[in-house]
Amino acid sequence: MAATKTKAAHNVFELAAPRVTPMGSAACLLEGEGPMCLPTQRRIWAVGRAAGDLKGVTDTQPGMNNLLVLYDPLATEPEALQAQLLALWIATPDTPAPGKLIELVVRYGGDGGEDLEEVARKKSMTPRQVAEMHSSAEYTVFAPGVIPGFGYLFGLPEPLFLPRRDAPVNRPLLLNVFIAGLQCNVSGPPVPGGPQVGPTGWYSLGQLIDAPAPFDLTRDPPGLVEPGDRIRFILDEVLE
Amino acid sequence: MSAPFLEVLATPALNSVQDLGRPGQRRWGIGPTGMVDALALQVGNALLGNAPDAAGLELQLFPVRLRVLRDGAIALTGADCDARLDGRPVPPWWALPVRAGQVLELSPPGATRRDLAAPALRACLSVAGGIDVPEVLGSRATHVRCAFGGLEGRALRAGDVLDAGAAQAPAFRDPAGFGALPPATALPLGDDPEATTVRVIPAAEYPAFTDASHAAFWNDPWRVTIQSDRMGMRLEGTTPLKRAVVQEMRSHGIVCGVVQVPPGGHPIIQLNDGNTAGGYPKMGVVIDPDLWRLAQLPPRRLLRFQRCDLAQARAAALEQEDYLAGLRRLSALSLMTPEAA
Repeated sequence: MAATKTKAAHNVFELAAPRVTPMGSAACLLEGEGPMCLPTQRRIWAVGRAAGDLKGVTDTQPGMNNLLVLYDPLATEPEALQAQLLALWIATPDTPAPGKLIELVVRYGGDGGEDLEEVARKKSMTPRQVAEMHSSAEYTVFAPGVIPGFGYLFGLPEPLFLPRRDAPVNRPLLLNVFIAGLQCNVSGPPVPGGPQVGPTGWYSLGQLIDAPAPFDLTRDPPGLVEPGDRIRFILDEVLE
Repeated sequence: MSAPFLEVLATPALNSVQDLGRPGQRRWGIGPTGMVDALALQVGNALLGNAPDAAGLELQLFPVRLRVLRDGAIALTGADCDARLDGRPVPPWWALPVRAGQVLELSPPGATRRDLAAPALRACLSVAGGIDVPEVLGSRATHVRCAFGGLEGRALRAGDVLDAGAAQAPAFRDPAGFGALPPATALPLGDDPEATTVRVIPAAEYPAFTDASHAAFWNDPWRVTIQSDRMGMRLEGTTPLKRAVVQEMRSHGIVCGVVQVPPGGHPIIQLNDGNTAGGYPKMGVVIDPDLWRLAQLPPRRLLRFQRCDLAQARAAALEQEDYLAGLRRLSALSLMTPEAA
């Protein structure tokens, strides 16, 4: 397996070379090298599409510059599959990916934005400055998986970088906009009547206003966003 | 072809219709769900001659009382719940014919007997033909968080009526039914009678943990805490697991059995209802063939991790396949086809 030298920018995990490691007996994780970025993610999506056709592969799931590949261990040779994935990664160029633009209105602070003030304090900014900086960026949906129907977003402005909390805290789940590390996401109950509170190590900046349900089986497709979509957060108001 | 087969007379919360899970939906952030003790379901289905992925009932809280609505057959696998059919004991890991009007009652594992052969938490009730509820995204498993699948997307409650798929019940050569060698006996693992042992393949961040953490992970027993459910199991030990270099991780897809270590150092094992993605460093992942051992671990029970590689994991999967194939042969000998009956 390739060398796994890491370097610390904001003390964020970064690989000098790509690697594939086992995720138990029926999955493996391909991780791209270098700083987290959109071109790497476009390659991840392309490899994910191609990997779906490999013998024994049952599902694939992009993460943040990485790809989880699930397989039937009795229908493939796991070591050979790992080598195939690494070769596929190296051979796959940056491939443009289609995506739609989605605008989501946010009320920053207040209920559902419990951590706005703490983030502002840690960044020596005002809550409004944090909200304006957060809503000034365009985000790309990198990966599914925060809640059904939504995903992990890339594009958080560097000055808002914050490591995850050491110990998770309980936050209301009201379609909140969360940040952690260099990532952003929306979390909440995927269906009416779902859990109203949950533990998280992320920071809650605000709450979506009039947002459609992230996951709705009567809708085609059922998920609100797909990898490659772009998100703009529209600043509605800042509650201080 | 399906018809009402079981009526729920009494059940606590958190019991549900489950099958082998909902694969292939990760692009929507939809995880596997499904029976936590998937092997128990596969055994029940093998004994009844069902399709391997036919749905059954996952029973994790008791007492449960069910009334049989028409003649058919059931299998009880997983935790030994001192089951009674019209008051007569039904052995664990057993398939038997049932008649309309009979009442099946299950008690909490260990409540009536202290001499349980193995740790026991979740029972599985399989029915001939499988529990018939509509498929959602390719599976009948209840997704409680998303409120779909299973029976109306929710846990069972008194008054529910469950359909079963088979129009005609299989006939048993012996009306008392027949049993399977339990997996704990057929597939023994580990030499600590006080602890359950599971095999783990080290994961990507394993090398980032300290030597002391590595030693503690493999050598110490880990206690299951009461903060454990279908989403995951929280463990506690005497030595918190620490990384030598702490870095901010990138979120990535995760699977059932992944042993994640939050900054506090107490590992969490992800189970069927957990998130599809996470960002905590991973010590390793419990191999699929050992997930059923986790499914039966009650709080306060001890767990030990045994290091394993891909070849050993494959051997374990093949051993489990052999065990199930043997049960299918046993079933073929013990059941008569409806035409022959």
